[in-house]
Amino acid sequence: MGNIFTKLGLGLVVGGVLVSIAHSQKLPFSFQLLFFIISLVGALVFMLLDARPLGTMSGGKPLLAVIAFWVFMLTVSVAGPSLLPQFDPEDEKAKIGKLLDKERKQSAQGKAEELIARAKALDEQVKALEARLKGLGGGQAATVTSAPPAGNKPSSTASASAGGDGDMMKVGEEQWQLQECYNCHKLRGEGGKKRGPELDNIGALLTVDEIQAKIADPKSFMAEGYEKEWQKGIMPNKFKDLMDPKEMQALAAWLGTFKNTSVNTPKPIKKN
Amino acid sequence: MGLSNRLIDRKKSIGGHRDTVKKLSRSLLTLAAILVPCVLGVSGVNAQESGMSPVEFPYTGNRTAVWIVAQLHILFAAFILGAPIFVVISEWLGYRKQDPRYDRLAKEITKVTVILFSMTAVTGGLFIFVLLAAYPQFTTSFINQFYVVFAILYPALFIAETILMYAYLYTWDVWKGEKKGRHIALGLLLNLVCLLILFVINGPTSFMNTPPKAEGVSPQDFIAAATLWDKIANQSWFPLSLHRIDGNVAFGGFIAGMIAAYMYMGAKTQEERAYYDWMGFAAIWIAVGGSLLQPFTGLLLAYEMCDYDFSFCPYMMADQLSMFFEMQGVMIGLLFLAINYYSWLSLKRIEGADNVRITILAPIVLVVLLPVTMWVMNTYWIPDPMSLVFLLPLAVSPFLLGRFVPMTVSARTVIKIGFIVMLLSDAVWLTPAGFVATGTDMPDEMKLPEGWDYLASMPAKLSAILTLVFVTVVNFVLYNRTIKQGTILWGKIDFASQFVLIFLAFTSTWIMGLMGAVRSLLRKYFHTYSLVSDLGPESFTPTLSYSAGWITAITVVFIAVVSVAALVALRTSVARVRESEGSVVPIAAK
Repeated sequence: MGNIFTKLGLGLVVGGVLVSIAHSQKLPFSFQLLFFIISLVGALVFMLLDARPLGTMSGGKPLLAVIAFWVFMLTVSVAGPSLLPQFDPEDEKAKIGKLLDKERKQSAQGKAEELIARAKALDEQVKALEARLKGLGGGQAATVTSAPPAGNKPSSTASASAGGDGDMMKVGEEQWQLQECYNCHKLRGEGGKKRGPELDNIGALLTVDEIQAKIADPKSFMAEGYEKEWQKGIMPNKFKDLMDPKEMQALAAWLGTFKNTSVNTPKPIKKN
Repeated sequence: MGLSNRLIDRKKSIGGHRDTVKKLSRSLLTLAAILVPCVLGVSGVNAQESGMSPVEFPYTGNRTAVWIVAQLHILFAAFILGAPIFVVISEWLGYRKQDPRYDRLAKEITKVTVILFSMTAVTGGLFIFVLLAAYPQFTTSFINQFYVVFAILYPALFIAETILMYAYLYTWDVWKGEKKGRHIALGLLLNLVCLLILFVINGPTSFMNTPPKAEGVSPQDFIAAATLWDKIANQSWFPLSLHRIDGNVAFGGFIAGMIAAYMYMGAKTQEERAYYDWMGFAAIWIAVGGSLLQPFTGLLLAYEMCDYDFSFCPYMMADQLSMFFEMQGVMIGLLFLAINYYSWLSLKRIEGADNVRITILAPIVLVVLLPVTMWVMNTYWIPDPMSLVFLLPLAVSPFLLGRFVPMTVSARTVIKIGFIVMLLSDAVWLTPAGFVATGTDMPDEMKLPEGWDYLASMPAKLSAILTLVFVTVVNFVLYNRTIKQGTILWGKIDFASQFVLIFLAFTSTWIMGLMGAVRSLLRKYFHTYSLVSDLGPESFTPTLSYSAGWITAITVVFIAVVSVAALVALRTSVARVRESEGSVVPIAAK
């Protein structure tokens, strides 16, 4: 028992010191907790290193011990990951839904689903008409739902594309989100991990056509100071395949509106 | 000839094959359409009759249904491809050292492998059925892409492997003595076929992540014109194959270690305990050999994937999958701690271990390695060879200069220092940029403050991995030195070590499941990245919690089957040994 208390005490002291240092350095609480847990794991490791040898088990004891050990491992391996922050798939589902909307509608299954939805909507209308007719016969008024068939509902992207400048800006911003450009580029102080240039002043440095050319062919321009990234081809050459020309144009037009000269967007150099 | 003409020519040339493939695919689909609902008893039978509509799997959904069978199949396949490498090494060591224990170990693992071979075939068949049922259109087009692989190469190699596997087992007692070399050669041939299978099947697997592409040509046009070799030799094919080879060796070793632990726990005599203690020891050291390479081949695979499409990188490390990697860090940290704890327990039962000492340079290098590596990696990031100029002399200095430094430290002290260094490395590995599910919209108050953020960088992570590997190598050297200077009391190992062996098998299987899920999820909402979209409702990133639940369940099923197979295969051999009552190994032996 002495071994356990000594090591545990030492682990708590080391953990306390680490937490104090982390706290004084303004590290978020989660990191302080991490360092504390690692100190306790360290204490456990040293307890095990200096523990008395476990004698050979016989009879049914090993079986029971193995079962208990398995239960422990399974509980930890299921509960442990659940304690970490969880990504919410609903965020992604909405995005993917928009990205795949057109393809889904074009697919055989999509068409079948569209037909089913139309048939259901027609069925609803027939039922409503029947009710109205009955109502007329019985002197009662009935309301006819005139909702358009679900399958005819245009996608948000398509409706925006068909609209004016405001809609175009909406589509552009939506594409920024859908294509996850923010993973590499900072804009309006959000996103970016220094993988790509900050874009708040891109509208003052490139025309909309040039921005579109850069998105379609990342090798067409190189941002000053990003020579290595340009050479390695860090910006994926796939967006022309993932967006249709209107969506790409909308994204470029939206980015073209960013002319914040207080942000040091690196100068693009024409390459091809 | 212009590119477009070449594309048209190629399209024409493969058009003829396509017809054949379509017939084959149709036959397969028909077969699947008949069998799948019968075998699985799932809904949607009528949907199959109408053509290509998918079956809807209850409870799990289609993607998870494919995930379960695919992961199970891969685990069995990894074992039957990895175990023969492990087995032939063991048989060869037995032949060279004239130590019958190695031969017995090799034979026993082969028996288990043969049983699991049938499980690989069963889960493989089930995998195809479920895939065809859940994603009929994609599966058909995928078979079209790789018709030579799926229709000719893979079945032919699988049949060859079956024949060789059985021949290898059944000639064991015939080809012994002077003919042992012939038997080892047969084992090598078996391994050659196993490796070929691995390389062949990794073609379609890696193709789904990184289909070949070219500047200025749409992915669809490029693939339509690509040869089979173009598709197989895609960017992640070779790194994936390398990663799976060393992974399979490690995996085979860890599973063999678990089998040894079960047999040790159930042993009735001291001789049996001595043998299975030795078996666990031998299996773990072969597994460690594979494990030490794993982080590097894994990094190579990640590097190639990020090079293929940089958006993989933030998706893995900073965005949706960032906490999956946090969990990977936890599990690999525990794996390394457990490996070294096992060697510590092994060391404790060596008579004379207290007298073993090592140069003081070893603990000094252990202590400085992590900070120095972090500095070097920050300054000369891979593939800058300058990093080697600093790190290589530092790492080899205890081994080369140690004899010139008179001061020494006891082996046990060095191992304990090694554990502290490992804990520090784990802390570095586990420090993310912020404890959030996605890094994209991370609030400032959750981020590591400036000055500390280097702990979350890739150079810091690589430094932590290098340090963990180095500590394990130092412990291995120390262990070998102790074996040479002392006497191992086989069968007298701390009983707790057997739980460590079980833990290692569980952890390595779990990590395989986790990283397999990560590699698959990297395709995002595509079946084949950027080529074929997954239009199903499940083409999103699942939560870590959900994934961990399934990974654990799959691990349990796999290990339960392996355990039963081991009991079935080895119970008889133990009984035979008991009958003959020949002492296989002295209790105290070097």
